[in-house]
Amino acid sequence: MRTKEKIIKVPFIGDLIYSSGHTIVGILLGIFTGGLLIAISGVNPFLAYASMFRGAFNSLQSFSNVLVRSSPLLLGGIGVAIGIKSGVWNTGIEGYMYIGAIGATIVAIPELGLPPIIHILLCFIVAMLFAGLWGAIPGYLRAYKGVNEVTATIMLSYVAIYFTNWIVSGSPLAQEGAYFPMSLPFAKSSLLSILMKGTSLHPGPFIGLLMCIIFHIILKYTPFGFRTRMLGHNPFAAQYAGINSKKQIVITMVIGAMLGGLGGAIEVLGLKHRLYMEFVTGVGYESVAVALVAGGEPIGVMLSALFFSILKVGGATMSIETGVSSSMASIIIALCVLFVIGVGVADSKRLKKRDEKDPGKKTLSFKMEEAVK
Amino acid sequence: MNENSILLKMQDISKSFPGVLANDHVTIECEKGHVLGLLGENGAGKTTLMNILYGLYQPDQGKIFVDGKQVVINSPSEAINHGIGMVHQHFKLVDTLSVIENVILGIPTNKAVLDFGPAKKKLEKLCKEYELFVDPEEIVWRLPVGKQQWVEILKALYRDCKVLVLDEPTAVLTPSESDQLCRAIRKITEQGRSVVFISHKLREVIEITDKVTVIRDGKVIGTVNTKEATQSILAEMMVGRPVTIERKARPIIKEHSAVLVMKNVNAFDDRGVQALKDFNLTVHAGEIVGVAGVDGNGQRELSECIAGLRKPSSGSITIQDKQVTNVIADPSFVGFIPEDRQKTGLVLDFTVAENLLIKDYKEKPYVKNGFLQYSEIKKHAEHMIKKYNIKSPSGDIKVKTLSGGNQQKVVIARELDAQPVLDVASHPTRGLDLGAVSNVHDILLNERNRGAAVLFISAELQEVIALSDRIIVLYSGQIMGELDGETADQFTIGQMMLGQTTEAKK
Ligand SMILES: Nc1ncnc2c1ncn2[C@@H]1O[C@H](COP(=O)(O)OP(=O)(O)OP(=O)(O)O)[C@@H](O)[C@H]1O
Ligand SMILES: [Mg+2]
Repeated sequence: MRTKEKIIKVPFIGDLIYSSGHTIVGILLGIFTGGLLIAISGVNPFLAYASMFRGAFNSLQSFSNVLVRSSPLLLGGIGVAIGIKSGVWNTGIEGYMYIGAIGATIVAIPELGLPPIIHILLCFIVAMLFAGLWGAIPGYLRAYKGVNEVTATIMLSYVAIYFTNWIVSGSPLAQEGAYFPMSLPFAKSSLLSILMKGTSLHPGPFIGLLMCIIFHIILKYTPFGFRTRMLGHNPFAAQYAGINSKKQIVITMVIGAMLGGLGGAIEVLGLKHRLYMEFVTGVGYESVAVALVAGGEPIGVMLSALFFSILKVGGATMSIETGVSSSMASIIIALCVLFVIGVGVADSKRLKKRDEKDPGKKTLSFKMEEAVK
Repeated sequence: MNENSILLKMQDISKSFPGVLANDHVTIECEKGHVLGLLGENGAGKTTLMNILYGLYQPDQGKIFVDGKQVVINSPSEAINHGIGMVHQHFKLVDTLSVIENVILGIPTNKAVLDFGPAKKKLEKLCKEYELFVDPEEIVWRLPVGKQQWVEILKALYRDCKVLVLDEPTAVLTPSESDQLCRAIRKITEQGRSVVFISHKLREVIEITDKVTVIRDGKVIGTVNTKEATQSILAEMMVGRPVTIERKARPIIKEHSAVLVMKNVNAFDDRGVQALKDFNLTVHAGEIVGVAGVDGNGQRELSECIAGLRKPSSGSITIQDKQVTNVIADPSFVGFIPEDRQKTGLVLDFTVAENLLIKDYKEKPYVKNGFLQYSEIKKHAEHMIKKYNIKSPSGDIKVKTLSGGNQQKVVIARELDAQPVLDVASHPTRGLDLGAVSNVHDILLNERNRGAAVLFISAELQEVIALSDRIIVLYSGQIMGELDGETADQFTIGQMMLGQTTEAKK
């Protein structure tokens, strides 16, 4: 297989080289270092990882947990990835998830007398609408006012979190006298169905996987994707080719926000059945990590989101069974991200040079691929 | 000459890329204190050869000798250690850094905090010594291209190179800047350094070099002493047939409706300086209007305003009575060859096929039912590669692997193939070989003959005169004068370019 190498500009870090090979090396280093940390904390890392593996795969139920956990990561990850493709860092997924969930909540609580499928779709649409509008704010600020999108989206995420807190504690939608801030329960017709008895598997992860495939196709095979990639590669040429780059930036940020909002809605409709305070703590930021590890590739997002949720779900079992700190899974995730970035940065010099020295390599393997066809 | 005086020798170098043999047993020699010219068509392999010298590529075979000793060069830093400096065909400066930062970038230092003081002194001394003046503090993107070229050269000299490679340094320079460069090159060689000079401009090659090696299709055709060479000898060696840039006979076009009308246009450049002042211009169907002038007198802003990439601060620009903003990037309306092909005209990481369609990608055969049709896109690429004689093994390779001149052909092919009503060609022949220049001239002349309005911007007086029906001379954002293409002479235009009006104005 041809290893596709590409360079991505990451804010504050600079040029990174990406390829599946690098990512795998980075992840292995992360797992290795995580093992060291586990060993330092006095637990046999092999046993710990074995327990993690069991936690994720030993039963249908545990695997369905992995899938359920991956749902927001898939949707959030693809939302960030499409931004990366067009050269913007849409890091506000956390906020979009909250806003999307609020949108869904508003139409999910009342008994509307609709058939479930319609009610659910309505929830999805309102969620995406809310989140899309929310995402249009940093999009507009970035495109037309030159405000750094990383700062703007993160700030807005805080606003979204506090707004949610008010919805579930002070607004008419809040459940009064609850032990924890939460909204009124959702109408039955709005809840996502459980796909497998005895598990909490809802359609969310499959919607997420489907979105990854859809956006892979959109980016590769549609004029919209062509425009997006052109903008990401060379904004000057994009402008010259008549692309309204400002509009395109807003659109991609809004799409990313809608996907994030959808992810948030699925969480509440499929899993929580109410809106809770801080129901997705950190998942939005994990999505950024998912997209980063995937190098902005939708197909890569599928793999990295699943990988992250395996770590998360398995990590919980690992901590129960072996006594490793429960935050170890997050630490390993962070290590993997750092090593993927680190390997990319460290290797970018060597690769750039090799690229210039022997660009024939790439084209050659490309040729061979073609000949095989 | 004894062997010792050969400072640089590349012997029997071969290098192939998939589908192309870029260098085929090439041998070149350059004596101490001499200038060696490298001539050859686009894609002949000049840049490849120099990239090998600079350690960017490894040759498939062949040896390199510096000062009589064989060396193996694996990377640019090793090349620099062997005293080789290179100014690339396309600049490698970091736009957002200052001049001095660019100059010292990559020089190893053992200090934690950079001390610019001594570096600045050294740079200023070099500026004076070679009369290539730049402000060390200026941010690179704010500098005009000519000055950026000085930075590139100073950067190499700062590293104290013995052999300086200049890959088409004058392509982006104005005639007076080119003269300045020639003087600097003389000073460089007087100090016993050698220069390898690549250019498509024969006049310069004859003026500045001691020997010329001509390469065609990767093979050395011959090496001549410049004293014994003439432009036509070199041209024939290079292309294989005689070529000259001369005014060609042209039919008189009857239909003469105004296509481009600019009224009282004012515009500012990136630095906020007024670049066009109350500018009025009309270009009619079936005429080529040449814009002569020293670079940086508003040419860029003029072309960008017309193409809709820059907003004039006041005034109106219409193309066939339509406001420019409405027809931007409609390739059937305006064909625009931008002056900076790599930054504006191409997406280097896209393939040749994709680049040929960055404007038309959403049109019919290339999109069906909302999906890009890669088979059609490929077919189109193959057709264009043939039609415009682009030297590329296929449409599927990244455009950045093409030679400079062939990259330009991709832009030209894309912009002119749709037969726009207005062609704006900004330095379209920059970096093209003689044969290709004459092809572009033929293409533009055909455009005119088919009834397109053509605005042709160039710093080369000779070609402006050869091609234009009407010539306007730009000076500091205004039209200094207008001449008839049939009767214009270089002297008068030259005067106007410096801001002096003469009675030849009509
Ligand atoms: N990295 C690369 N990968 C594949 N082919 C390449 C690469 N670099 C150059 N080539 C091919 O090698 C040939 C020689 O290119 P080169 O850039 O040396 O030409 P050149 O003489 O400098 O031309 P120009 O005057 O247009 O700059 C061309 O056919 C080009 O397409
Ligand atoms: Mg070249």
